[in-house]
Amino acid sequence: MKFLTMTRLVCAALFFLLFAVVTAHAGDGTMKLEAQLVVGSNDPQTKGKPVSPQIERKLKRLPLKWGSYFVVSSQQFSLAQDESKALVLGGSDLVVKYIGRERVELTLVNRGKISQSLHQDQTLVTNVKDENSFIVLRQVN
Amino acid sequence: MNEEQQLKLQAFLDGELPEREAREILAWTQRDGAAAALLAELKNTRQALVKSEPHLSVPESRDFFWSKIEREIQRLEPETARTPDASLFAGLRRWFFPAVALGALVIAGLIAYLNTPKTVVDGVADADTTTVETTLASADATTYRDAGEGTTLVWFSDDTTAIN
Repeated sequence: MKFLTMTRLVCAALFFLLFAVVTAHAGDGTMKLEAQLVVGSNDPQTKGKPVSPQIERKLKRLPLKWGSYFVVSSQQFSLAQDESKALVLGGSDLVVKYIGRERVELTLVNRGKISQSLHQDQTLVTNVKDENSFIVLRQVN
Repeated sequence: MNEEQQLKLQAFLDGELPEREAREILAWTQRDGAAAALLAELKNTRQALVKSEPHLSVPESRDFFWSKIEREIQRLEPETARTPDASLFAGLRRWFFPAVALGALVIAGLIAYLNTPKTVVDGVADADTTTVETTLASADATTYRDAGEGTTLVWFSDDTTAIN
């Protein structure tokens, strides 16, 4: 009986050790992101590819004055923890950095810096220099 | 016969008198019948007391008697208390396995602690917050959060006219 108790204790300790190692490695994963330059318009005939229905639904719930949204350019990239990616979208210089735990840091050069959690269902939207244009940043599978 | 004379007779019978005084008492008892009668009575009483004393004896020696009690106590003690398990496996079971378990727990705790990002240590409540810093002192930023869709809008002040 005493022996069984000791065996269980050892097994529990090894389990926690394994769990800690797995958790530690989970925090070191990469994050795949998509940055879109989107332009807003009240003219449905505006040139460009309409944003996806999912993005459109999100944008239409925001306090913006446009009725239609079109993708001007898009970039997908993967970032490891503490890795950064420099982008130029809509005439603005951007730097996206993955700071870990599904949290990113978006720096708009000469304007400001945003730090935000970006889980699978979360989207970050911010305006750029060009009129009616903004950046949509989200995590992709 | 006074009390002092009676005590002298008792002391004579017990052999406590000096030789000269003892001879005087002996001569006195030969002359005095009452003294002789009292001496005879004291002798009889003394002999009666000696004969009537109970004489109890143990059939064994004292050491053997207590040794027997000690052996009986040891026989009734639990077997495990008298015979310690000194095998190698028992030693492992008692010390090695708990030490391994404790060591593994300490290592696991250290690994988990050292690999926890600072953002997590700072608190779960801060995990989903948005922080905005503006580069220019005169600039401002407005944050709007749509919790239902999980959308965060950060609008910098130079374009606020674009917001409804």
